[in-house]
Amino acid sequence: MTRNILLAIVAIATVASACNLEQEVEITLPEYDSRPVIEAYLEPGKPFRLLITRSDGYFDEFPSIDNFPGGLLYDSAQVSITHQGVAYELDNQLAFDPTAGKLYNYASSATVPENVGEPFELYIRFPDGTEAFAETSLLPRVPIDSVVIEFPEGDMPEDTLARALTYFTDDPSQVNFYRRVLHAGSLDSLQQDFVADDQIVDDSLIVFGTGFDYAEGDTVINTLYHITEPYATFLESLNAAVSANGNPFGQPSPVISNIEGSANALGIFTGLIYDRRIDIVEQ
Amino acid sequence: MKTFLPLWLSLFVLTLGTAQEVTVSGSIADADNGETLIGATVVAKGLDQGTTSNAYGFYSLSLPARDSLTLTFSYVGYQPQQLSLYLTKDTTINVELGTGVELDEVVVKANSYREQINSTEMSVEAISTREAKILPVLLGESDILKTIQLKPGIPSGSEGRTGLFVRGGASDQNLIVLDEAVVYNANHLFGFFSTFNTDAVKDLKIYKGGFPAQYGGRLSSVIDVKLKEGNNQELSGSGGVGLIASRLTLEGPIKEGKSSFIVSGRRTYVDLLTSQVNRANEGNEDFSPIPDYYFYDLNAKVNYKFGEKDRLFLSGYFGRDVFGFDGDFFDFNFDWGNATGTARWNHVFSPKLFANTTFTYSDYQYNIENRITGFSFGIGSNIEDINLKTDFYYTPNNQHTIRFGAMATQHNFTVGRLQAGSDDGIVSFSAGQSFDGLEFGAYVSDELELSEAFSANVGLRFSGFNNDGKTYVGLEPRLAARYKLSERLALKGSYARMYQYLHLIANAGVTLPTDIWYPSTERVAPQRSDQVAVGGSYILGDQYFLNLEGYYKWLDRQLQFVDGAQIFVNDNLEEEFAVGEGRAYGMEFSIEKKQGRLTGWIGYTLALTRLQNFETLDPNGRFAQESEGFGPFNPIYDRRHDISVVAMYEISRRLTASATFVYGSGDLTWLPPGRFSFQGIEGVPFEAVVPDFRERNNFRLPAYHRLDLGLVIKFFPKWGKAI
Repeated sequence: MTRNILLAIVAIATVASACNLEQEVEITLPEYDSRPVIEAYLEPGKPFRLLITRSDGYFDEFPSIDNFPGGLLYDSAQVSITHQGVAYELDNQLAFDPTAGKLYNYASSATVPENVGEPFELYIRFPDGTEAFAETSLLPRVPIDSVVIEFPEGDMPEDTLARALTYFTDDPSQVNFYRRVLHAGSLDSLQQDFVADDQIVDDSLIVFGTGFDYAEGDTVINTLYHITEPYATFLESLNAAVSANGNPFGQPSPVISNIEGSANALGIFTGLIYDRRIDIVEQ
Repeated sequence: MKTFLPLWLSLFVLTLGTAQEVTVSGSIADADNGETLIGATVVAKGLDQGTTSNAYGFYSLSLPARDSLTLTFSYVGYQPQQLSLYLTKDTTINVELGTGVELDEVVVKANSYREQINSTEMSVEAISTREAKILPVLLGESDILKTIQLKPGIPSGSEGRTGLFVRGGASDQNLIVLDEAVVYNANHLFGFFSTFNTDAVKDLKIYKGGFPAQYGGRLSSVIDVKLKEGNNQELSGSGGVGLIASRLTLEGPIKEGKSSFIVSGRRTYVDLLTSQVNRANEGNEDFSPIPDYYFYDLNAKVNYKFGEKDRLFLSGYFGRDVFGFDGDFFDFNFDWGNATGTARWNHVFSPKLFANTTFTYSDYQYNIENRITGFSFGIGSNIEDINLKTDFYYTPNNQHTIRFGAMATQHNFTVGRLQAGSDDGIVSFSAGQSFDGLEFGAYVSDELELSEAFSANVGLRFSGFNNDGKTYVGLEPRLAARYKLSERLALKGSYARMYQYLHLIANAGVTLPTDIWYPSTERVAPQRSDQVAVGGSYILGDQYFLNLEGYYKWLDRQLQFVDGAQIFVNDNLEEEFAVGEGRAYGMEFSIEKKQGRLTGWIGYTLALTRLQNFETLDPNGRFAQESEGFGPFNPIYDRRHDISVVAMYEISRRLTASATFVYGSGDLTWLPPGRFSFQGIEGVPFEAVVPDFRERNNFRLPAYHRLDLGLVIKFFPKWGKAI
């Protein structure tokens, strides 16, 4: 009796372990209404320009080569940016910035004035009658004080690699937000991109570091953006959304944009003020 | 409340007036090892009078003085003992029950069922260490906290998701106490194991509702774990070598009849293997070293009997999970764990009055240390409690068991402590908040036997919390009643209000060791719940026990994170909170068989939980669920159906087979129904897929089911026994 029961248990366990242990799950997501996505950056000295695309259902097909970028871009909207009482109309025209490698579908020939603290107001009216609006202003540039290249002390092969420490001075009298972007060699080779604020800093000196990654002769490009709180919130929520995409440890978050209005649009309207330093790694 | 308090007081006064009785009192213990027995029954033959031993093994029974009286002492799994007495004055009888003789199991188990019928307690589940050892949960390791999650109404998280979600409560709403000291994180290895070493645990009981007045501080459950006291008869040991961990327990008398000890420890050893692999690959550039991970815990307890009236217990727990990586330029060390200590004094003032006074220390912390040449970075959080409480049991007569007591806990919180900077001190960052909080409470309750059929437990708890000058107080009425329709069938009902002054700050996905305990503050009010439960219990034949309960729970001041919340290193965490309310309701059914070769149970839970009406504490905060009109939503742990089938079959004295099957509706998860592409700025790559998260927890995963089979082989070497 005992033996038979044991045999039965072993047989059940064998059958169970032979089952397909990897199961695919089919997901049917809820209905989704497409929304306009707006990227509008004000860079002093550069034309007023912005990109309006549209969001899609998560499992919708991406635009094919035949209808790209038309399948992605949101055209035929009326766009204006008002500053110091002057309304700058942005035409629905495709423009490509070869230096930055970025595409825009609304632009004006007028350039953005560097008026720190003065508000810019964005207004968009879409063909379906819905509207979107936002407001922002330019912040003062925060210069990079110094970039220190540091080699480790040692004679191992890996000790020939250096790190870069980027120092800058924060204004402790107000809450500031920064975006630190680091490239190696060229602007095509992104090494770091993150948002930080000065609320955890004990004094006014802030440093951003790197790993021991750079050989003698390498180029390190530091860019320090002084950004608004809505832009910092937008970037953090966007990063959270991206990192939670399939990551069970992630904290999902809707993207928090500073665009308002009946169009239910997503996106950001902000100034881009930065300081950039290019350094060659030397012993 | 106004209506039943005078009623309770009047009954109390009336019953004090009845005298002409003597009291038999004492303790009931296991004859083999001296462990006190909780819930053992004492019955006076022919008088239809009886009682049960309390959580400390003490009993008190008032009887009319008479020349001849027979008392029967019994406990599940033990040989009943009968004593004939000449009872003319108050008498102390300490009884030890043995297991050495084969029992008429039908009678004993039926008695156990009858105790459940007779009790006013409802919404309670218990598990024995024997059951836990037969039902291994992972890689042959037993775990009593995981095993109790097979009972109805206690759905656990899915694989890899920690936390208990009792009757729609969040994972922070469980009061877990180990020898009366609070355990803030009962998990090892990200929830695959609990902190409770089954070898050292004596008893585990979970209250899902109908909370007795002595418990407070959490909304949804009380998990009361008691450690063994140590064998006071002989030195003995047990241990095991498992696939991932080994354990060893030693217990024995220190001074025979007076004092005993138990020490139990376990440790995983995967790190010993990985460190050898790392060493073998030293110098191999293509090899990425494997981080070390291990956990360990240690339980120790001693007790000393000063006389017939005084007994002192000292117990402690220390456990840590350690994750570490050491590189040439980069070190990363992450450890977390609990430490608890308990000093407990039992004193018998009189045959009718018993007191338990406890001083406990409890600490939970996590620390992350990261060092890169020239710079260091450390982050951690910590909660530390010092608690003093006293509980009195007063039994004026057999119709009343009055409990009263008080407690105070000093909490010290360190939230999101960050220290970072360069070795030369030029650059430094720091963040973090510290709070002190004083939690206090007092309670009184009476277990009333109003008639043979009707009994009730009426209680009132007063609780409060002070943090930085802000004081919250609350009155928590408790009521549980039982009406016996027959010796086999009882109807029960209960109501309990609970306040919770601490909140666990956890992200929406999983419970992690880095979750932060946060006190109630000026802006963050304590959580509150009201739960009503009704149900019935029925003994079917001699072998089966049926239980059916329904509940409805109102949850107020529930916390959720706002959209885009920054949890890590944030000195203004309150800005990230949204406060709302919840509703949870459902029913639970179970049928249990405790006798014969085949034992086990089948449990089914039907439940629904929803959250609603959230408002952000920060006026600029965003909670799209409400602001965009999505309305009420279900938390991720809202599981509609939960079924568990547990069977244990004793094949022979040596062999026991077990099978557990669980089925649960899929958990909810928050998936993005849409996506968009984002171009970004110069030098930053195009982001092709940015998910557009909309309504919270909008997707239910497929149902989960799992079958575990186990076989326990007992060896009986001459020097002992092993499992």
